[in-house]
Amino acid sequence: MGGSLLELSANDYSAPDSYDIMKEVMKYRKINAHEHVDLYGGKIEDQIDFADRLGMEKLAISRPFTKQLAIEATPEEFRNCNDSVLNAMKLYPDRYLGMCYVNPLYGKESLEEIKRCIDLGMVGLKVYHQVKINSPLFYPIIEKFIDLKMIILMHAHCGLGVGGKRPKYGNIQPNASIPEDFVEAAIRYPEAMFQYAHTGGGGDWEYACKAMKDYPNIFVDTSGSNNQGGMVDYVLKYLGEDRLFFGTDNSYYQGVGNILSSTLNETQKNKIFFENFNNVLRKAGNHVD
Amino acid sequence: MLIDVNANIGHWPFQQTNCNTCQALLERMEKFGIDVSVVSNMNGIFYKDTQASNEELHKEITSDQRFRGRFLPFAIINPIYAGWKRDLDICISTMGIKGIRLYPKYHDYELTDPACIELVNMASDRGLVVALTLRMADSRSRSWMDIDREWNLVDVIPIIKEVPDARFLILNIANGIHVNEEETALFKNSNVKFDTSGRNIYNLSALINKFGKDMFALGTHSPILDYLTGLLRVESLRESEADEATMELLRSGNAKRILGL
Repeated sequence: MGGSLLELSANDYSAPDSYDIMKEVMKYRKINAHEHVDLYGGKIEDQIDFADRLGMEKLAISRPFTKQLAIEATPEEFRNCNDSVLNAMKLYPDRYLGMCYVNPLYGKESLEEIKRCIDLGMVGLKVYHQVKINSPLFYPIIEKFIDLKMIILMHAHCGLGVGGKRPKYGNIQPNASIPEDFVEAAIRYPEAMFQYAHTGGGGDWEYACKAMKDYPNIFVDTSGSNNQGGMVDYVLKYLGEDRLFFGTDNSYYQGVGNILSSTLNETQKNKIFFENFNNVLRKAGNHVD
Repeated sequence: MLIDVNANIGHWPFQQTNCNTCQALLERMEKFGIDVSVVSNMNGIFYKDTQASNEELHKEITSDQRFRGRFLPFAIINPIYAGWKRDLDICISTMGIKGIRLYPKYHDYELTDPACIELVNMASDRGLVVALTLRMADSRSRSWMDIDREWNLVDVIPIIKEVPDARFLILNIANGIHVNEEETALFKNSNVKFDTSGRNIYNLSALINKFGKDMFALGTHSPILDYLTGLLRVESLRESEADEATMELLRSGNAKRILGL
């Protein structure tokens, strides 16, 4: 019988050793590889407060344009988005790493905007579901980021009807890049670095990991609200300890808790919380000392 | 002291899960300092005859002296399946259950089905807690064989209104925590606790201000969700947000109250 606490005598039960979770949290340096500003309605100060609370030194931030119709993400809109990021970078220059956002439907303007943002200190690209990552429209942009030695963080979705290739269940985001799109881009551009967004973002992360296993220039971040048990261990099993980044995407507790509760060793946790993304930043001289 | 009000053993048929036996759960509890877990057997979500899962849970909990006092069993009862009243009696009289977990979406009935209301009334009369889970798993990444519907927090209100004297645990609050003033008052004035495992417990400090410090209890939703995020939501509160007395309520005090310990 289960027995209630009131039925216990002192000999029945010895309390477990205490576990100081906040000590564990603060033990690891952290770069958050997937975060946004001006997207979820919260204030920048609140986000910095979460970062302080959970020991995040740096946050790689972007502001994508999220309406469904790709053509609506006009150059004026994506410049405004990037201005939000630039504003945050000015407010907290020691905390924020800017990721430029563009829409490849507007190729010339996108390349101009990339130059503007990189000149102003941004360190990578964040793109959304206006154009799939393997589209020819993306080729000049990918080639630009090969030259810059910077990573491309692409929104992804791998749900039923998308990754599962079962359209009868409906596509949540019909134009979102799926794992196979990343693989095609990674094969075409082995020198480029791609970041598959948010394994915890509601997609089928098992499917994604299996599809992308053999392509070392595809990284993933652990952000998203779906902090399924065993996810981090699974990603490590398929992609190895060097291709996984800590991220939150507005799910701060889950991002930290999922890695802490994994079976990873200290070295692996350090890599995921900090070193792996810092090594990517290092390629362009934007790393954290 | 830490009490986890939302742990599971058993098989999740759509995905491999770790830590789904009492032995494995106890090891995890020891590692992360959890004293006691409220536990039920997920097999009962999928068995037509849920009593078999309750028997499995009872057999496992009584199989090792080290489990004594560390697990508080909740039975899974399906009130539209034959023999459920006898099953409930057996769970109370011989299995020492402290509560029941209901899965209307998996078992295909409505919370306001007369049989469900009868079950909740009976549970309340027998001193049991009634646990309702807004979702077991994220429907966005579900198996093609899993259900595609999740509850919002407001979806549990009808049964609270039907059986206002019952004690409820609302688990894995993934959706709809931002209820209106009237609904907030209903939850605050009922015998309800929310666990901390769900993604909508986005800012626990703000939610304590809204619902009160008596409303929340540590929960993990293990092994479906990771084991530490629910605890992190509690332990990362600052002294200015939760004094020591409030922290003790979140860690175990509110769980003890709702469980009648």
